[in-house]
Amino acid sequence: VVADAEKLKQTEKCCTSMFNTNRQKIMERTDILNQEWKTRRIQPVHIMTSVSSLRGTREVIPLKTLNAVASVPVMYSWSPLQQNFMVEDETVLHNIPYMGDEILDQDGTFIEELIKNYDGKVHGDRGETLSRTNSDASKKFPSDKIFEAISSMFPDKGSTEELKEKYKELTEQQLPGALPPECTPNIDGPNARSVQREQSLHSFHTLFCRRCFKYDCFLHPFHATPNTYKRKNLENLVDSKPCGIDCYMEYPAGVVAERAKTPSKRTVGRRRGRLPNSNSRPSTPTVSSETKDTDSDREGNSMFAEGNSRCQTPVKMKLSGEAEAADWSGAEASLFRVLIGTYYDNYCAIARLIGTKSCRQVYEFRVKESSIIARAPTEDEDTPPRKKKRKHRLWATHCRKIQLKKDGSSNHVYNYQPCDHPRQPCDSSCPCVTAQNFCEKFCQCSSECQNRFPGCRCKAQCNTKQCPCYLAVRECDPDLCLTCGAADHWDSKNVSCKNCSIQRGAKKHLLLAPSDVAGWGIFIKEPVQKNEFISEYCGEIISQDEADRRGKVYDKYMCSFLFNLNNDFVVDATRKGNKIRFANHSVNPNCYAKVMMVNGDHRIGIFAKRAIQTGEELFFDYRYSQADALKYVGIEREMEIA
Amino acid sequence: MSGASCKANGAVYPASSAMMNSVKKPKMEQIQADHELFLQAFESEVSPLPIFLHRTLTFMSHRNGRSNAKRKAFKVDDMLQTVEKMKGEQDSPSLSSHLQLTFTGFFHKDEKPSQNSENEQNSVSLEVLLVKVCHKKRKDVSCPVKQVPTGKKQVPLNPDSNQTKPGSYPSLLVSSNEFEPSNSHMVKSYSLLFRVSRTGRRDTNGLVNGEANENIDVTDTPSRKKRSLSHREEGETTETYVAQMTVFDKNRRLQLLDGEYEVSMQGMEDSPVSKKRATWETILDGKRLPPFETFSQGPTLQFTLRWTGDASGKSTAPVAKPLATRNSDSSSPMETRTSNHRTALMTVKESVSTDIQTRKEQVPCEPRQKLRIFYQFLYNNNTRQQTEARDDLHCPWCTLNCSKLYSLLKHLKLSHSRFIFNYVPHPKGARIDVSINECYDGSYVGNPQDIHSQPGFAFSRNGPVKRTAVTHILVCRPKRTKPSLSEFLESDDGELEQQRTYVSGHNRLYFHSDSCMPLRPQEMEVDSEDERDPEWLREKTATQLDEFTDVNEGEKEVMKLWNLHVMKHGFIADNQMNQAIMLFVENRGAHIIRRNLCRNFLLHLVSMHDFNLVSTATIDRAMARLRQIQEELPDIEEDQQDQTLVSAAACNGNAVTSSGGKQGKRTKSALTD
Repeated sequence: VVADAEKLKQTEKCCTSMFNTNRQKIMERTDILNQEWKTRRIQPVHIMTSVSSLRGTREVIPLKTLNAVASVPVMYSWSPLQQNFMVEDETVLHNIPYMGDEILDQDGTFIEELIKNYDGKVHGDRGETLSRTNSDASKKFPSDKIFEAISSMFPDKGSTEELKEKYKELTEQQLPGALPPECTPNIDGPNARSVQREQSLHSFHTLFCRRCFKYDCFLHPFHATPNTYKRKNLENLVDSKPCGIDCYMEYPAGVVAERAKTPSKRTVGRRRGRLPNSNSRPSTPTVSSETKDTDSDREGNSMFAEGNSRCQTPVKMKLSGEAEAADWSGAEASLFRVLIGTYYDNYCAIARLIGTKSCRQVYEFRVKESSIIARAPTEDEDTPPRKKKRKHRLWATHCRKIQLKKDGSSNHVYNYQPCDHPRQPCDSSCPCVTAQNFCEKFCQCSSECQNRFPGCRCKAQCNTKQCPCYLAVRECDPDLCLTCGAADHWDSKNVSCKNCSIQRGAKKHLLLAPSDVAGWGIFIKEPVQKNEFISEYCGEIISQDEADRRGKVYDKYMCSFLFNLNNDFVVDATRKGNKIRFANHSVNPNCYAKVMMVNGDHRIGIFAKRAIQTGEELFFDYRYSQADALKYVGIEREMEIA
Repeated sequence: MSGASCKANGAVYPASSAMMNSVKKPKMEQIQADHELFLQAFESEVSPLPIFLHRTLTFMSHRNGRSNAKRKAFKVDDMLQTVEKMKGEQDSPSLSSHLQLTFTGFFHKDEKPSQNSENEQNSVSLEVLLVKVCHKKRKDVSCPVKQVPTGKKQVPLNPDSNQTKPGSYPSLLVSSNEFEPSNSHMVKSYSLLFRVSRTGRRDTNGLVNGEANENIDVTDTPSRKKRSLSHREEGETTETYVAQMTVFDKNRRLQLLDGEYEVSMQGMEDSPVSKKRATWETILDGKRLPPFETFSQGPTLQFTLRWTGDASGKSTAPVAKPLATRNSDSSSPMETRTSNHRTALMTVKESVSTDIQTRKEQVPCEPRQKLRIFYQFLYNNNTRQQTEARDDLHCPWCTLNCSKLYSLLKHLKLSHSRFIFNYVPHPKGARIDVSINECYDGSYVGNPQDIHSQPGFAFSRNGPVKRTAVTHILVCRPKRTKPSLSEFLESDDGELEQQRTYVSGHNRLYFHSDSCMPLRPQEMEVDSEDERDPEWLREKTATQLDEFTDVNEGEKEVMKLWNLHVMKHGFIADNQMNQAIMLFVENRGAHIIRRNLCRNFLLHLVSMHDFNLVSTATIDRAMARLRQIQEELPDIEEDQQDQTLVSAAACNGNAVTSSGGKQGKRTKSALTD
């Protein structure tokens, strides 16, 4: 009995100590929390006053009443977004929507039809298991039977042999250091290889979105590569002065090179690449010469080149001796090829950028590489300098065009896609012209293209039809409209141009609360004036077909966030969006929606229809937009038909 | 595009369906249901507490008895004089005087007076209780009420006033110290409760009981005592009549002065109606009795009231002074809350020379002002109506005496915006159509944080707490039209008057859009949910780039860094790019060097140049700045060679592990197809 009592005591002790340590932890965490809240000026949390022990003595704790908290309206989860996000069509039904047992029982046909829309494909049905078995496979090569079995079960995944190949492919790539053969090795890594300029820059060129300035952007699935972009301004490519005492210019060859360049410079940079090209012709470069530089002029200039090479010969001897000492790594060689396409004969600059080679070494390497070096671009000689008069005429036609567009078939607004038809003017065959869009700065056509929108030259706020941008339901382009202020004051909100709010994201502070009408509502924090920009209606950009498929489900839920953008695309704020998605519909609204062309993208702006006071709930008419391109969706559409 | 409109949870009155069902039910149930419906529609009005004084409102200007005329002759010394004078008056203490009640008799017209007085009982038992209504303490649901028994007397039933000698009337004395404030509760008002119990004819014990109980200090609650008493007398019929008179009202003003009173008594079947249950119904089963008719019919109790200085009965008062000087503005009309005491319709037989009594009689007695207001309630989507009439110009909701029809209408319209009031002229006075205002803005007028008293915050205030800004418009000077009743007539065109909100601002509780948690006032200023680069997007752009199998890890890393940079700053114009590059070097330069990405960064710059977005000058400047940053990082410089190898290896290793999981997802070449 005594032993038992002692045991009990011990366990009690143990409990007490555990309780105390636990309590200590709670106190510490509360202290931290309170400390943080103190700095943020929030009321502290009270916890119970200390409890002396577990046993015997009285414990006094303050009671806190937790009031019942009123429930809030239902909200399905969504991801915040401040810019539209393009998604692909879903070929597989993600999930079978659940709308309560009644609907499932009563209206089974709905689900059936829904699945039919996706050709009977529902996510998670099959297929997933296949890839899992593959990745889980052991290092021993499985017997053929397994592949046969998989192939018979999933004939759509390929034959036995194909599966075997797939298996090999998937397992082999798990070896360390291996990269797919088509991948350029990291130029900063140890495995950097000497490759062509195009290959070095391939990833950057293909993934960069010239419209979003981002790599693999969320909005534009197709990016134009830069090779067709023309250099707008010829920069002074060559330093006229030597970069130092060791500069290649200080050497006879450099002088010769410099001298050789001077005439070419005079002829407006024409044929700048000629000299080295011809020079290096005897010494074949190590890299495969796939130069597409099939210059028709080359043959004609060979005489001049030969003359040059003659006087260069002694110097070359000397230089080559040094070049042997200079060991060019793959990375350096690749970098050189990249830079020579940008800097051309400015070896000093190239050397500076490479960092590990002197300009003499660069020059010498240049001589070796000559066959693959790109020519300096030519200036468009046939482009006469812009005349003011001509520009003015251009302007007038544009204003007329805008007017025509407004009067004519304004019911159809098509998505803008930069046009790319080399050596063809933007005529009736140009996609921009057929879609009745202006050519934008992203188009590959000349900046003198007749279909280009010239921008405005307003000095006012661009909020009247006096402004051609406003008239064309476009926001001012900061690269075109240089006088209205759209290109100024990037950091401040005080922009004189009032027609660039969507692109700048100059939205108003919105607050979420249960609506006075239905469900959630959105309320404005500060008063706004009539026609002031409130927010962009953001969401996923989906195709019209996808919108039809999704809309079927949304209609059933009686809740839709679809918003027609143009004839090709719809904005769906169901999964991704911003706070304005909570604005309710009203036939007597205080806001209106307007689809605007903003730097090549159609975007939906929500503006104040009248002066709105602090704390007012925002409404807009879902059925109407100024662009008149709105399709009636959801229940509203049904109501329209009825 | 239906948006949020279909998310309706149905905030309509749930009564409508109940109404439909009851159509064929028996009439009684139907009436009950209808009554319920009526109450649902009209009872739950919570009128916001007035944030202004009524007398300052232009349409209530007649309630302001003061004028500024006195101000011209004002001297500071006058204040002292006034106070001294008042002090002197108060020294003749009303508190030191006792209340003496001498009962003349109990009159009930059913009985013939003194007929068979030998056989029949000729007296009733009267119990007088002093009711003290105390101030509500925080925890109390309603005001605590204390009932102090002052005594029991036998009062002659239907005495012949000629026969009885004046000295023989039973009399009671309420000690002055009963009116003094007690320690436990602050007493708000005092009233006398008369309870007459009249036992049946065969009862002879009543008298004895009454006598025996006299002056016994009852500590238990009298009502319970009463019940037990009646239990004892089981089998005998006991009728009980009650009446209540206010001695001091809640402003501590003396309501009962010396004089002869006759109190109309009411049979007590159920407990006295509390204020909460007061409804629109008239008192006697729809039969509306003029105020004075009750005195000729119903049972009444007659007594003489005297304030005496000592117990022997010498009168020292009428002291018509209020007990407290707090509200000495006796010239302004008092609010009479007759509806609260519907059991005590009281008049004073003898005219007493005080203001209070005369004013009390003024309203019903003035024939010219006797307007009858018919309130016509329209409810259940205006399909049902109920009419109630009222003979005064008090607001039925807040009992404010508006004195004038115009003022009443204006008050109703402005202070009870849950309803729509339409004035219709009526030969006997006025008809006011009352219907529910569907556009009523139900948002809370007070601090929205108080509605959703948030656990942990609402009850732990121990210092100043930030509130959301709400603007109450106290002074506004609209163009005033001349007061005319026509402005309350229903407008024909149904055009909705631009209703100005009198409280504007953030008078509601907001929520975070990401977590649905209540937004605290200190979180109002900064929008926490307007990030250009929310975390999920930052992660998305990284994973999306990681999915490429034919992009090497160095390229990926530079691209990710650049993407995050662009997302953070939201560049929109080509001519921002030179600036953007320099900012990128400034912010991420050190990271680029540490991660050994300089050549990849250079490739990025050249690519940007190929797109005509930056000049070579920017490339030069950016790289120069990068070199400069590199020199400022000495530790890197020393073992650069090692670092290069190590980080490069790590880089490759990373790429392998990360690509392992995302094999074969995407290729860049597929993008250009």
